[in-house]
Amino acid sequence: MIILGIETSCDETAASVVKVECGKFFILSNIVSSQVKVHAKYGGVVPEVAARLHIKVVLPIIQQALAEARCSWKKIDCIAVCAGPGLMSSLHVGVETAKTLAYVFKKPLIKVNHLEGHIFSGQNKVKEWKLPIIGLVVSGGHTQIYLIRNYLKYKIIGGTIDDAAGEAFDKVAKILGLGYPGGPVIGKYIAKAKGHPSSGLRVTKEQRNITLPRPMIRSNDLQMSFSGLKTAVLYAWRDCQLKLKGDELENARVNLAADFQQAVVDVLVTKTLKAVKKYNAKTVVLGGGVSANLELRRQLAEAIDSGFPPSLKLWRTRLSGMTINKVKLVVPELKMTGDNATMIAKAAYYHIKRKDFISPFALTADVNWELKSR
Amino acid sequence: MKVITNSPKETISFGKKIAKSLKGGEVVLLMGDLGAGKTTFVKGVAAGLGVKNTITSPTFVLMKVYKISASAKSYGGQSENIKIKKNIKVLVHIDAYRGLDLNDLENIGALEYFGEHDTICLVEWGGALLDYCRKKGIRCKKILINNINQKTREFIY
Repeated sequence: MIILGIETSCDETAASVVKVECGKFFILSNIVSSQVKVHAKYGGVVPEVAARLHIKVVLPIIQQALAEARCSWKKIDCIAVCAGPGLMSSLHVGVETAKTLAYVFKKPLIKVNHLEGHIFSGQNKVKEWKLPIIGLVVSGGHTQIYLIRNYLKYKIIGGTIDDAAGEAFDKVAKILGLGYPGGPVIGKYIAKAKGHPSSGLRVTKEQRNITLPRPMIRSNDLQMSFSGLKTAVLYAWRDCQLKLKGDELENARVNLAADFQQAVVDVLVTKTLKAVKKYNAKTVVLGGGVSANLELRRQLAEAIDSGFPPSLKLWRTRLSGMTINKVKLVVPELKMTGDNATMIAKAAYYHIKRKDFISPFALTADVNWELKSR
Repeated sequence: MKVITNSPKETISFGKKIAKSLKGGEVVLLMGDLGAGKTTFVKGVAAGLGVKNTITSPTFVLMKVYKISASAKSYGGQSENIKIKKNIKVLVHIDAYRGLDLNDLENIGALEYFGEHDTICLVEWGGALLDYCRKKGIRCKKILINNINQKTREFIY
C-alpha cells in the first residue's frame, strides 16, 4: 500500500510518500519546506504570512515528493492529510489541497490528527510497540501525555495547565535576548558557551544548585505548568542585569538558560515516569518539536533505564521506589521531530485498516481537534 | 481603579470578580509584560463565567474558543455556587503577543466574535485595539497589569 501524506498545520509545508509492505513502513520520500526563517523576524508564526507561503509551495512540494518516490498518481492508494489541531489559515491549505486531489484522482481520503502523527513519528513497523503506550507530545503549541491502551485508542492523562513547553522555550529565549525559535537557540547557546558543540551537555556542579522552580513536580497528578517558570526566569534575569556586568552577566545568562532547560526536562521526565508507573506502560513514545532537545532525549533515556531523573536528587527518594522494568523508549530521528508528512502517512495506515475514509465534500479542518478515540 | 494581588490565587479571585461585572458583548484588553499574569487572570474570568475547560496559553494558536455550558454551576469542587449568566455562552481568549494587527485578527476569525452579545473576548497584548473598539461602538474594558515584584501585581482598570 502506498500513502501520500500532506501536512500544513503550522509553518511547515510537508508531503511524503510512504509504502507499507510486509508490516513495515518504507519512507519513499519526505519533503519539508520550513518557513521558520521568514517567521523568525516576527518572533513567531504569523498566520497570514504562513498561509500565503503554504499556498505557494504546497503543489510543488507534493510533486517533488512523488518524483523522489518515483511514484505516479496511479500508484497512490490513499491520500492522508493533517486536519488539525493547528492554525486555521495554514490547515485549510493542506486540507483543501488534499480534498481536491482526492476528488480529481478518485483516491480515498483520510484525516489525521496532528498529535497522533507526532506519536507515530518514531514507528518503523506496523504495531511495533508493546501496549500500553505512554505518549509524550511536546511542541510549541502542545505539551500532553497520552495513554494508549490499544492502537487508535487515546486517552489524555496529563499535560500543561498553561504554557506549552516549546512556548516557554520561545518566551525565555526572548527574555534572555537569544532569538527565535527558542528551543534550538537555547540549546545551541548553552552548548556553545560550554564548549561542547552539540554533544550532550553535562550540567556543572554549580548549576545543580537548583535556583529556578520545578513547578508542580511534586503534585500527584500528571499536570504540568511552565508559565511560572518563565516568570521566574524573567525576575532572575532582571536581578542579574541590575547586579552584574560584562563576563559575569554573560555567565549568569548561560547558567540561567541551562537551569531553565534543566527545569523543563526535570518536569517532563518526572511526569512521564509517574505515568509509566501508574499505568504500567511497556513503551514510552516521545514526539513533537521539543523532542529534538538533546538533554530531554538523553535524560529521559537515562531515567527510564535507572528509574529516576538523575538531576533530581531532591526527589530521588520519592521516585526511587519506582521499579521500571522492560520499558522501551522510542525517540524519533532528529529530522522527524519537527512537523513532517511521513508521520501523517504512518498514522493514516491504521485508519485505512479501520476504513475511516472521509468524503472530500465532508472534510473540514478542525483548529481545536482534540486527540481522542474516534 | 487599582487592585493589588499578592499571588496567582488572588489574581484568579480578582478575575472571578471581574467576570461578575461582565454582561456579554464586552472585549477585555489586557496589557502587561511577559509573566504579568494575563493568562492567570483569564483563568479567573473563565472560572467566574463557568468555563469548565482548563485555560491554556493561546500564544501558539493565537485564539482559543471556549463554550460555556448551561449546566455548569460549580467549579473547582468548591461548594460555592456561581450564578452563570445565561446570556454569556462563549469565551474567546486571544493572544496578540506577536504583534498581530487588525488584519491578522480578521484573518484568524477573531473579529467576528467582537461585540457578539453572548460572547466575552479577552485579548492579551490587546492595547492597540482600543481605537478600533471605540470606533465600532464595542464595549471594551482596558486592564493594565504592572509587575510590582515577583509575587505582587497591580491591576489598573
